[in-house]
Amino acid sequence: MNDLLNLLIGLAMGLNLVALGTSRLPSLIRVAALQGMMLGIMPLVIEHEWRVMVLVIAVATVIMKGIVIPALLHRAMRTANIDRDLNPLIGFLPSLLLGAAGMIGAVVLASWLPLLPEHRESLLVAGSLASVFTGLLLLIGRSKAISQVCGYLILENGIYLFGLLLIHSTPLLVEGGILLDLTVAVFVTGIIVDRIQRAFDSLDTRRLTVLRE
Amino acid sequence: MTTGAVLAAGACAIILSLIGAFRGPRCWLLALLASSLTALAAAGWVLATGNAWEWRSAFLIGGESVHLRLDGVSALFLALLAVVGGAGAAYSREYWAERAHPVSAQASRGWWSGLVLCFGLVLLCSNGLHFLIAWELFTVCAYFLIILDGQRRDVRAAGWLYLAASHAGTLALFAFFSLLAARTGSWDLGPMREHAELAPFFWLALFGFGVKAGIFPLHIWLPSAHANAPSHVSAILSGVAIKMGIYGIVRFSGWLPTPPSAGWVVVALGVVSAVLGVAFALGQHDLKRLLAYHSVENIGIILIGVGFAIVATAHGQAAWGALALAGGLLHVWNHGLFKALLFLGAGSVLHATGTREMSRLGGLWRAMPWTASLFALGAVAISGLPPLNGFVSEWLVYLGMFDALNQPGAAVVGAIPAIVLLAMTGALALACFVKVCGVVFLGAPRSPAAERAHECGPWMRGPMLMLAAGCVAIGLAPFVFWPALHTAVGAWRGTWTDVPAPESLTMLGLVHMALAVAAVIGAAWLWRRAHRGSLARALTWDCGYAAPSARMQYTAGSFAGIITEWFAWILQPERHEHRPEATFPRRADFEEHTPETVLERVIEPCARLVMWVSGVARRLQHGRTHAYILYLIFGLVAVAAMTMAWSE
Repeated sequence: MNDLLNLLIGLAMGLNLVALGTSRLPSLIRVAALQGMMLGIMPLVIEHEWRVMVLVIAVATVIMKGIVIPALLHRAMRTANIDRDLNPLIGFLPSLLLGAAGMIGAVVLASWLPLLPEHRESLLVAGSLASVFTGLLLLIGRSKAISQVCGYLILENGIYLFGLLLIHSTPLLVEGGILLDLTVAVFVTGIIVDRIQRAFDSLDTRRLTVLRE
Repeated sequence: MTTGAVLAAGACAIILSLIGAFRGPRCWLLALLASSLTALAAAGWVLATGNAWEWRSAFLIGGESVHLRLDGVSALFLALLAVVGGAGAAYSREYWAERAHPVSAQASRGWWSGLVLCFGLVLLCSNGLHFLIAWELFTVCAYFLIILDGQRRDVRAAGWLYLAASHAGTLALFAFFSLLAARTGSWDLGPMREHAELAPFFWLALFGFGVKAGIFPLHIWLPSAHANAPSHVSAILSGVAIKMGIYGIVRFSGWLPTPPSAGWVVVALGVVSAVLGVAFALGQHDLKRLLAYHSVENIGIILIGVGFAIVATAHGQAAWGALALAGGLLHVWNHGLFKALLFLGAGSVLHATGTREMSRLGGLWRAMPWTASLFALGAVAISGLPPLNGFVSEWLVYLGMFDALNQPGAAVVGAIPAIVLLAMTGALALACFVKVCGVVFLGAPRSPAAERAHECGPWMRGPMLMLAAGCVAIGLAPFVFWPALHTAVGAWRGTWTDVPAPESLTMLGLVHMALAVAAVIGAAWLWRRAHRGSLARALTWDCGYAAPSARMQYTAGSFAGIITEWFAWILQPERHEHRPEATFPRRADFEEHTPETVLERVIEPCARLVMWVSGVARRLQHGRTHAYILYLIFGLVAVAAMTMAWSE
């Protein structure tokens, strides 16, 4: 069972690198969606007995992260008439290298942290740290609002992974609430993206500096 | 119980006046005067009988039951508040009248009532939390009174400076009361001298109350606020508001244990305030600013008395400590009376001429004989000349210090310079008031405004007369007021209750009466001679010039020139001069200005440094969200690293 979980997490970590390396927004959205779906089925892998609540949460996560949120983002992308992040602040190759370094750092840090014995074998902590780092890298390095939203999604995936450590003690209802928040956030961002596009004639968030005091 | 009933009546009256402020000036004034009278009665009763009044409420405010206490110390200040509050209110009836100030007259009345109410609460509250609330409210009320004439930029600046400085002081007080409550486990205040571990908190109290009192390096807000506020507000600021700082210092040096060096520090601050206050006063050309610096000086004199009392406590010497404290406390009254009188007098001058600039005044005694003579009386009192009240309180402080000289040890080393410097302060104050009276009231008018001056009306004259009567009464019959001081000293230090009145006090009173009678007879004789018509009138300044003009008189600056030269090291006067050159000089001029040295040379450079650092830090806020996220990461990593380091 742990092997299956580690395989899923390893795949998610690989998707992080794909997200860092691509300039096309549709594939970025797809990567985030895929990662979200993988994470969605993880509770089923971890839990020994399938309760109704776990099942509901898993299905809801997969639907939200795999279908609803990507659809919202695709719509925002289409209305903004944009499909590439052409001039990022941190180039694609450097961000790929940084992401790889971050992944190695995450594995090292996870082995160094004082974890419970049952978590030592799994990649949960390493994968979560790597995803958080990737998400932050995307948030800092990309200039278009939609790629930043994807970075935010990947960041949230990392946090979700970390939360799985506590799956036995955290009510899944909390996870459900977070999921709802996330959906609303992306929904709002979709609207904001449209507004930014109209007001600034671009989705480059660097132009937002004119809004400072 | 009677005290409580009288105070309750006073509270009702002041609340009525708060409501009446928005109805009309007449009912407001009536209610305010009624509350003043009741407060005076309650305070007088406590001071005369020595029976403190205490009351605890059953209900809670802010989680604490209201604890009011009127003992000798607070009654002394309450009596002063009643007198100055009432006098200022009556004065404002004409000075800040509805007709001349249609917008701010109502605000003036409302905030005045609020201020008087908050002063009373500060004096009565015996709970740290409620004390802080009342303290903060009084600061705010005073701020709105200072900026009544808020159309002028310098008024707003003065108000802002006052508010900022007050809050710096209040911050220290918050720390003081919170620490006190944390250590004792209760916000309740009262004598707790047996808790020796509370002693270091005295420094916080000294700073917090010292800002309000205007002790020398902390006085930065005082000159501009006093000068720019309407004169009745200046009178209550100088007469009562800064005394609240003194009240705090007296109150908490009495209730709490003090660090061993506290007495000497207070004495040193007092001496510095006294000497430098009067030095700065000599350098001023603005009438009200000059009076404001004299407040710093008189606060210094009060602090010398209080400081010696604290020293005496440390040495276990009741006799001279009580004398010094009684002198300091009597000076609280005296300064409140004559400084309020002087500010009201300055207000009359301002009202009549429209300027506070002394170099534009002159010769006013012809047009305003009442104001001139009352101002002169206040000037005699503040200079500490017999037979008025300033001499009595300084005499008591001197007596305390002379008795301290008889003690072996450190007291002598400290007392001798304090005596010398206090004497010097008195002389300088006299020089300063000779300058004020000479330049403002004597000589010839220096400007058309001074020529058109007119005497003030009865509503302005009455309060001044009343305050002057107070000065004369304390001067002529000091022994009448000794029991009040005795009560206050006993309330400050419970073991100092059997201090006898100094024998010289009765003698002093008799000498003063004789002096006063002689002065009245002399004045009457001169009056008769002058009015018999046998005197020839001539120009005053006729030094061989064919056509003397008013501009040839001594100016305020030239009069004090020699003395300000002695203090140039601290006054740092700014001079611009073009000397007359060649045989037929074209033009020459000379201008001298005394800056606010502490504010402009110390505080402002520090503030500029802070602003510069803030400006550099502000570059971090450039609007690039990417970089903000980077900051977040740095912050998170730092916190994580700190947690790691901490746990290991």
